[in-house]
Amino acid sequence: MANTERRLLLSSSPHFSANVSARQLMTQVLIALAPVTVYGIVLFGLSALITVLVAIITALLSDAGFRLLIGQKPRINDLSAVVTGVLLALVIPPSTPWWMTALGVIFAVVVTKEFFGGLGANVFNPALSGRAFLIMSFPAAITTWHRPVGFTQGLTDAVTSATPLNIIKLGGNMANVGANFVKGGLAHNADYGSVLWTLFVGNRAGCIGETSILLILAGAVYLLITKTIDWRAPVAMIVTTFLASWILGLDPVFGILSGGLMFGAVFMITDYVSAPVTAKGKLIFGIGAGIITVLIRKWGGYPEGVSYSILIMNAFTPFLNRLIQKKYGYVPPKKGAAK
Amino acid sequence: MAIKTFKGGIHPPERKTATEGKKIEAVPTPKQVVVPINQHFGAPNKCLVNVGDTVKRGQKIAEGAAPGPMTVPVHAPISGTVKKIEPRAQSNNTDGLCVIIEATEGQESADDFMPILDPFTCTKEEALARIRDAGLVGMGGAGFPVHVKLAPPPNKPIDIVIANGAECEPYLTIDEAVMTEMPTKVVQGLTIVMKIVGVQRGVIAVENNKTHVVPFLKKAVAEFKRDFDISIQLLKTKYPQGGEKMLITAITGKEVPSGGLPMDVGCVVQNIGSLVAIAEAFYEGKPLIERGLTVTGGACKTPKNILAPIGTILTDLEAGFMEIDQDKLRKVIFGGPMMGTAVPSLNIPIQKNTSGITLMTSDETSEWAEETCIRCGRCIRACSCHLSPVVMNNALETGDLEVAAKIGLLDCIECGSCSYVCPAHIQLVQRFRIGKQQLRIKRAAQPKAAAPAKV
Repeated sequence: MANTERRLLLSSSPHFSANVSARQLMTQVLIALAPVTVYGIVLFGLSALITVLVAIITALLSDAGFRLLIGQKPRINDLSAVVTGVLLALVIPPSTPWWMTALGVIFAVVVTKEFFGGLGANVFNPALSGRAFLIMSFPAAITTWHRPVGFTQGLTDAVTSATPLNIIKLGGNMANVGANFVKGGLAHNADYGSVLWTLFVGNRAGCIGETSILLILAGAVYLLITKTIDWRAPVAMIVTTFLASWILGLDPVFGILSGGLMFGAVFMITDYVSAPVTAKGKLIFGIGAGIITVLIRKWGGYPEGVSYSILIMNAFTPFLNRLIQKKYGYVPPKKGAAK
Repeated sequence: MAIKTFKGGIHPPERKTATEGKKIEAVPTPKQVVVPINQHFGAPNKCLVNVGDTVKRGQKIAEGAAPGPMTVPVHAPISGTVKKIEPRAQSNNTDGLCVIIEATEGQESADDFMPILDPFTCTKEEALARIRDAGLVGMGGAGFPVHVKLAPPPNKPIDIVIANGAECEPYLTIDEAVMTEMPTKVVQGLTIVMKIVGVQRGVIAVENNKTHVVPFLKKAVAEFKRDFDISIQLLKTKYPQGGEKMLITAITGKEVPSGGLPMDVGCVVQNIGSLVAIAEAFYEGKPLIERGLTVTGGACKTPKNILAPIGTILTDLEAGFMEIDQDKLRKVIFGGPMMGTAVPSLNIPIQKNTSGITLMTSDETSEWAEETCIRCGRCIRACSCHLSPVVMNNALETGDLEVAAKIGLLDCIECGSCSYVCPAHIQLVQRFRIGKQQLRIKRAAQPKAAAPAKV
């Protein structure tokens, strides 16, 4: 009897749990990222594969290495470092030299995440900070794009190409984008419908993982069904981008199908740590990111504004977290009650 | 019939199959019972008996030390001799004065019950006095005196009485068994309550995983001759559907105001077990000396719904009736796994508010270490009170009790949904309990004039 009593566990209720762990949630994100990753590798070949692998390995090494250095237990088991690595690899061009990829990942993991206290404590989205760091450090390499060449071909100077957003930024129109697609052998026709279809399928120049809207949406559906992400921020960002583009005279459908908008809305803005936790906060976060994206596209120095828009909104997260939901049985304070 | 529910909540595994549909078995009279003299929420009782006294089943053994509305007497659950009066461990993990009664061997002595009272001819005062004298407390939760609940002040008119048969807590099936076997007593109890508070509308609320009890209840309602409007409402099977506030919102669409009581929205809610006890107090003159409960869990070899005298200790029951797998036993919970209390030993008596004893193995319970919050917001979606647990916890971690209170610390009903879904296994409910205590201590220490406005 005495033995039994010593074995009995005492703890506060509840006495069982959903048995969900951070690792499982990260696994769901990785599953959702798998289609776009594979497609990116198929489109851009070996260099894309190397970029992804280098990013994952560097993420694991830098996460574990830094934590060991500061005398903490490594936390690579929760897979959040892997997610950061994959996300960063998917938002840089396939031709990025491997050492640049590694540097970007180290910046993302060590500076953006661990310096701020590690998992759960970072202010900014690690993958996007890594990308921003690379753009500022190596502007030429990170804005060199290649036409999809298929897995067997190497990416050479011969197949560099402007992204659809580049063409628009340089004063082009949808016809120019279509002409570029036809010239590159990515589409048969240069008409408006073909352009949108090509963008939707994703057979175009761009970052490794951002091109195929179809596969990104498949990932989004998976994440929504498994309740890994909340719909509010992504929907708010996409709808806002559509409306803001339209108001500013940009093509709204092109606006949401091009660049990294869809990828950012599904995989970046839904990053748990750097986004608001409250429902209203998420809506405003998405709306803000959408507006800033369009403003950068229209008037900013870069053709694409998704990553900066999300990073800027990250800074607002602590304030947006104050927008909590109305609690059950809330009674508004009576005016004059303070007297 | 439309199925109603509330916003938020979770879907834990029900794990009710071990005892679902099993008949309620009366336990063989135990050789001793350990009866805490304080089993209600309110002013303390004093003991009325001395060591060596002979007591009859149903005899009053403890009564309010000072006269007042917030006291409820305690009665002898079995006939026998008072062996000891000493502090013992109780199901809320505190020691309290208990009367230990040893059963008289061999002889059956008469019960000491109250006379039968017709609830429909007696006055309201007589009826409330009977409910108090029968030792009735809420049998689902904190042990709030029933007679206080049924006597709202005149400025709080009641328009509906809800019988809480949701039984949303996993593992437990006793309410379901009672509704199946004694639907008439449930309806009788409900009508007595309706008569006392003076309302015509009564609702028996049942989660839709128990639709099979509906015909029994319908039949009992149809057989009941008096003119009351009693309906049966199915609710979505979701935890914590049986929480008083969630139940009221699901049925009436109203929200109990923050800091208020169900009577503020014209509702009286009674647990199924309490209704049966109310019916027995009037029609049999029987005080609350025994109750139905579920004993279950992976470490219970004989899971069943039982009817046990108050003060029964599980290990006192004969081996053929109740067998416990001591090797596998990891956690003893008074109540269910979501809101029950873990106790350090099996040697703890069944009390008036013990709706079940869950004996969990280590496979069934969760033994995770707390990790870092990843701010996924799952707790916010799960919260049945629409609070923001993660934000509240952050405020508590920085020691800012007033901010936590503003977010709703005192509105938390401790249902455990947030801790249940947390991927970092943060013990949110435990932290909120501690926070509430700190806040109450802090506010009590403040001078009255500076007390902050109610939030």
